[in-house]
Amino acid sequence: MSWVVGILLASAIAVQLISALGLLLMPNVYDRIHFLGPASTIAPVLTAAAVVTVEAFDHQGIETVLLAVFLCVFGPVLSHATIRAARIREHGDWRERPDESVRRPQDPAGAGRP
Amino acid sequence: MNAWLWAAAACLLVLVPCVLRTVRGSTFDRLLGMQLAGIVVSLALVMLGEGFERSIYVDLALVFGVLSFVGSLAFVRFCERWV
Repeated sequence: MSWVVGILLASAIAVQLISALGLLLMPNVYDRIHFLGPASTIAPVLTAAAVVTVEAFDHQGIETVLLAVFLCVFGPVLSHATIRAARIREHGDWRERPDESVRRPQDPAGAGRP
Repeated sequence: MNAWLWAAAACLLVLVPCVLRTVRGSTFDRLLGMQLAGIVVSLALVMLGEGFERSIYVDLALVFGVLSFVGSLAFVRFCERWV
C-alpha cells in the first residue's frame, strides 16, 4: 500500500509545482489565475486519497476529505472573485466594453458587434 | 523520514515560486501568490500531521484553509476599488 501513497503524494506535489511555476512564468494575471485551478482541486483530492488509503475514514481521513471538498468548492469561487476584482480595477466594470473586440465562434473576425 | 515528511518538505520547495510571485508584481499578482501559498501550506500541514502522527495538525490545516479563503476574499474585495 505504501507505493500507492507514494504515487498519490508525488502526483499531488507535481501538480502543485506545475501550478506554482505557471503562476511565476505566465505573462499576466488573467493567464496566471488559471494555474490556481489544479492546485485547488486536483492536489487536495490526491492528498485526501493518500490519507484515506492509510487511515480509512477515521478522524484524520474525514477531516482531510472535508478540507479537499472545501478547497474544491471554494477555490473556484475565490478565483472568480479575484479575476472579477482585477477586471473592475483595470476597467471600472467587469462587463465587456463596447469598444472591446471579443472573438466568438459565430463571429470569427471579432467584428460586426453592435 | 517517511514519505509524508518528504512530501511536506517538497511543499516547501513549491512555496518558493509562490513567495517570488508575492514579493514582486502588481497587487493581484501578489494576491494570487498568497492564495496558492495558502493552499500549499494547508496540504503541507495535512502531510505533516500524517508524518508525525499528530491529528491536531490536520485540524490546523482545516482551520488554516478556511481562514485563508476568508482572508483572501476580504483582500480581493478591498483591492477591487479601495486599496
